[in-house]
Amino acid sequence: MAVHRSNSGKYSHSNTADPGAPVSTANGPSINRGPSASRAKPTEITPSILEELKAIVGPTHVWTDPEKMESYCHDETDAKSYGHMPDAVVFPRTTEEVCKIVKLANRYRVPLVPRGAGSGLSGGAIPHQGGIVVSLERMNKLLELDTANMVAVVEAGMVTNELARTVEEHGLFYAGYPMSLETCFIGGNIAENAGGGKAIKYGVTGRYILGIELVTPTGDAVWLGGKLSKDVTGYDLKSLVIGSEGTLGIVTKAIVKLIGLPTARADLLVLFKTPKEAIDTVPVILTRGIVPTSIEFMDRLSIQTSCRYLNETLPYEEAGALLLIEVDGTNAEQVETDMITVGELCETRGALQVYVAQDKNNMERIWNVRRNIAEAFKVYCPVQSLEDIVVPTSRIPDLIPELEALSKKYSIQIPCYGHAGDGNLHATLVKDPDMDMLTWKKVEDSCLRDLYAAVARLEGKISGEHGIGIKRKKYFQEIVNPVELELMRAIKRAWDPNNIMNPGKIMDL
Amino acid sequence: MHIVVPIKQVPDTARVKLDPVTGTMIRSEADAVMNPLDLYAVETALRLKEQYGGWITVLSMGPKSAARSIKEDLAMGCDEGILLSDKAFAGSDTWATSYTLSTVIRQSLSFDLIIAGERATDGDTGQVGPGIAAWLDIPVATYVSRILSFDGNRIEVARLTEDGYERLSVPLPSVLTVVKEIAVPRLPTLRGILKARSLEIAVRGKADYPFQDEYLGLQGSPTRVVKIETPLISRKGAVVTIKTEEDLSQAAEEFVRFLSQKGLI
Repeated sequence: MAVHRSNSGKYSHSNTADPGAPVSTANGPSINRGPSASRAKPTEITPSILEELKAIVGPTHVWTDPEKMESYCHDETDAKSYGHMPDAVVFPRTTEEVCKIVKLANRYRVPLVPRGAGSGLSGGAIPHQGGIVVSLERMNKLLELDTANMVAVVEAGMVTNELARTVEEHGLFYAGYPMSLETCFIGGNIAENAGGGKAIKYGVTGRYILGIELVTPTGDAVWLGGKLSKDVTGYDLKSLVIGSEGTLGIVTKAIVKLIGLPTARADLLVLFKTPKEAIDTVPVILTRGIVPTSIEFMDRLSIQTSCRYLNETLPYEEAGALLLIEVDGTNAEQVETDMITVGELCETRGALQVYVAQDKNNMERIWNVRRNIAEAFKVYCPVQSLEDIVVPTSRIPDLIPELEALSKKYSIQIPCYGHAGDGNLHATLVKDPDMDMLTWKKVEDSCLRDLYAAVARLEGKISGEHGIGIKRKKYFQEIVNPVELELMRAIKRAWDPNNIMNPGKIMDL
Repeated sequence: MHIVVPIKQVPDTARVKLDPVTGTMIRSEADAVMNPLDLYAVETALRLKEQYGGWITVLSMGPKSAARSIKEDLAMGCDEGILLSDKAFAGSDTWATSYTLSTVIRQSLSFDLIIAGERATDGDTGQVGPGIAAWLDIPVATYVSRILSFDGNRIEVARLTEDGYERLSVPLPSVLTVVKEIAVPRLPTLRGILKARSLEIAVRGKADYPFQDEYLGLQGSPTRVVKIETPLISRKGAVVTIKTEEDLSQAAEEFVRFLSQKGLI
């Protein structure tokens, strides 16, 4: 996955992309707008604010040129629907600089939008009300590798993959590893509490974050947590920040937990005739006492689109669905035994074929099929809504017919793939290339409402790992328990009295 | 049809580390994998077997741990594996290796075809396949990219050359070395792996065949690695700065002169 799409189109700044945003942020026509364009207060960036920013981080680390800022106006959501230009992008190098930027923003009531690698999938890093994007990309150092405590201290802008590679050389493993593995930053992973393909066995990012250095929305730096396995000293504020999508402050450093590196691994690619057979197999595997590292699901549409995109020659034509199952461990024989047990279990559940990958090339080959689905569908039509629904694992089989019904009802393709092992499926609404945008927006909206209602019936939630951001805000506010929503708002108001820290994300105040 | 596929293990290129002092590769048995290019030979053999029937023997020379790679081929559908593992074979160059393999093939295997990978990713010589053909005094077709037909006595193949393709009709028995283009190797199946587990790999040594001792291993290898160097990559370019429009035509002339001096135009 690329950090920045090379899309050179100009993005709309109209507030129709975010119906939930306050009216005061209306920005006029669909053209690129420089920072000098007039706009309602309180978010105007004056030349004197820019001068102050330059004094804090140095003149070369404050950008206002729209062409240079274009990569910072969107994340991995559809840029045409959600993209919005910032007024400025700043690149701090130290926590002190971040504190000064936040204090400045409070003084002038300017929105701040913290940003990692921009690989988010809910618009969390998009400056949809303008303001200043605070990019953590220069804060990218590994500060300490403490092998005695099995922890690493990193800056928030460190590429997660680089952290993983570095600790691997010491026989250690950073297990909070999301899917967009090449590009994402640890800070972004923390902001979204990112999950990924290995969550059934290893859990999500939060499990591996022992401590964070946070710059609060009022500009104070504070360490929450520490190099501790246990800590009930007061409220667990660290956990509150993890997954708060940059609304409760800017994470500048983190203490991450490391575990022993698994040395043996085997992957199974299992073809099934129907999605039902594949999905029904998942709870059977999970209740057998073997904990696979991953159980990924792909339906027929996902398989065929991705395989054609990759020129993959596996005999997939007969398959209505597949499971990609990984087992790992530190004992090669045990891993092989587990692999065989799981494979044979699949065979008894009607698998058409069980392929095995035990070497790196074959593993790459089968994981490529899974990793390239989204890219493959972008070739068909770049306009799509990548969903992130999550249900209890035992309810996954009930979800598939719901998706099929929606696909029929709205006559759109809804490929479905994702982390079946933890109930987190990326059903994706793909716009028919011939459908006009206005119709699509209506179809998307109704279909999402139906989908989220179905998910609620199955005791699920609308986002497992991508977050609410701006993309799901409207639906989230409709569906969430009002008491829960009011608690969240109370927290936000208490932490961020001037509402400058990533305002308008997750919920409106 | 009896097909013999010689394979070898190579260091996993993703894990190769160089000794900073000696400049040589640090080898460890754990990181050895089957030469990726040998997979295309295995796949070609399997497809011929599926179409015409037959028996596939995988033959390898190496440490005991190389049995793991042979097992992988058995899991893909090959029928038997022979591993030549003996200290006497250690240090073989391509001459000694092809001698050793050909002696085993001549002595104990009736065969119609020997299909090898184009080359191994460590030594990069591509000599062992043709070497076997030379020792056995049978035809060889290298860089085979397609099997066109087979009638029981002759096999017609397309050969990838620098200029395009050659069509050759080769009598059996003969040696083919195949390129990547020929087929996409299949993934092993669970059934295949379980079947491979039950198959014994025959491990053989120096005493099992009528070798001439002086042809074996390091002492039988005429090749000596004298020194390993990392080649110096130097780009001898020239920078011409253009400041005015007049400079432009002058720069173009210099560019043309530069290219013709290098014999590139």
